[in-house]
Amino acid sequence: MDEVALRNEIRALVLETLMLSIPTEELTDERPLFGPEGLGLDSVDALQLVVAIDKKYGLKMTDQEVARATLRSVATLSEAVFRHRRPSQVSPNLNSQK
Amino acid sequence: MIVTLVTGGNGLLGQAIAQAMLDSEPDAIVWLGVRQNRDRADTMSRSHPERCRCVDLDVTDPTDWKRAIAEMESTVGRIDVLVNNAGHAEDGLLATLDPESWSRVIAVNLDAVFHGCQAVLPGMIGRRFGRIVNISSLSALLAPPGQTHYAAAKAGVLGLTQSLSKEVARIGITVNAVCPGYIDTEALESLSTERRQAALASIPMRRLGRPEEVASVVRFLASREASYMTGASIKVDGGIF
Repeated sequence: MDEVALRNEIRALVLETLMLSIPTEELTDERPLFGPEGLGLDSVDALQLVVAIDKKYGLKMTDQEVARATLRSVATLSEAVFRHRRPSQVSPNLNSQK
Repeated sequence: MIVTLVTGGNGLLGQAIAQAMLDSEPDAIVWLGVRQNRDRADTMSRSHPERCRCVDLDVTDPTDWKRAIAEMESTVGRIDVLVNNAGHAEDGLLATLDPESWSRVIAVNLDAVFHGCQAVLPGMIGRRFGRIVNISSLSALLAPPGQTHYAAAKAGVLGLTQSLSKEVARIGITVNAVCPGYIDTEALESLSTERRQAALASIPMRRLGRPEEVASVVRFLASREASYMTGASIKVDGGIF
């Protein structure tokens, strides 16, 4: 699965897991998931996402700091899943965002 | 089909809860968490070979919880209901209480509830459904002398229940507690005749409770009918408190 497809899959996963009733296009790659400037998700939403990502991709986020960074946006989530699936590869596109 | 894990599955209360859950639906499945003593649990399992099984579980060990949950989920796919029923009491006055006794009582009665909830929650969150019923005690609300550790642990269970219930309420998981009073189980066997008579005199109903009378409350809290109840502590004590 390429990056774009993965991002779209994760975008759908976020919307479905958290039962968010916003149009898909409003959940852009870079839109913060948490905080007042983003979707305004909270720690319970984060918990659900951690479980959903583990269940679907086998990516475990046991370290709170790592989880916080990973759950920042659809883009960061996708990057983490991409790396988890292919540890030897880093997406140049995703990497350039740093 | 509803799948339930009852810890302390060999005790009389655990047995009654397991039976109530087996009776709740024709295809209900019950796991009995057992450790050293398992004679009653094995008998129940043999009586319902398709619907009741035993699983070795040291409730104080988070690693053992992970192993046991993995074993159960690989067999039946999920756990819908966790009944944290395992308990342990060692009465003694605080002034002379052995710190190890304190630790043992806290480990079985409080730490184990934490470990159990943490072990089942990922599955429940993923399925957006779950029922957790924690067996506390009347001692949490009306602590007698000699039970500082037991009462503290059981009161801790009520706090855990309230807090966790708020954390997972919107995910379809309910967390409630039951506070049994004097119930006719092995836990009362150590009472002297005098203390037993004093206990009976303190009960407005003038009798001990039966394990089945606690189990029926647990069964309700575990049911889909209890969908709007969470964070509750229900006492089942014949009217003492």
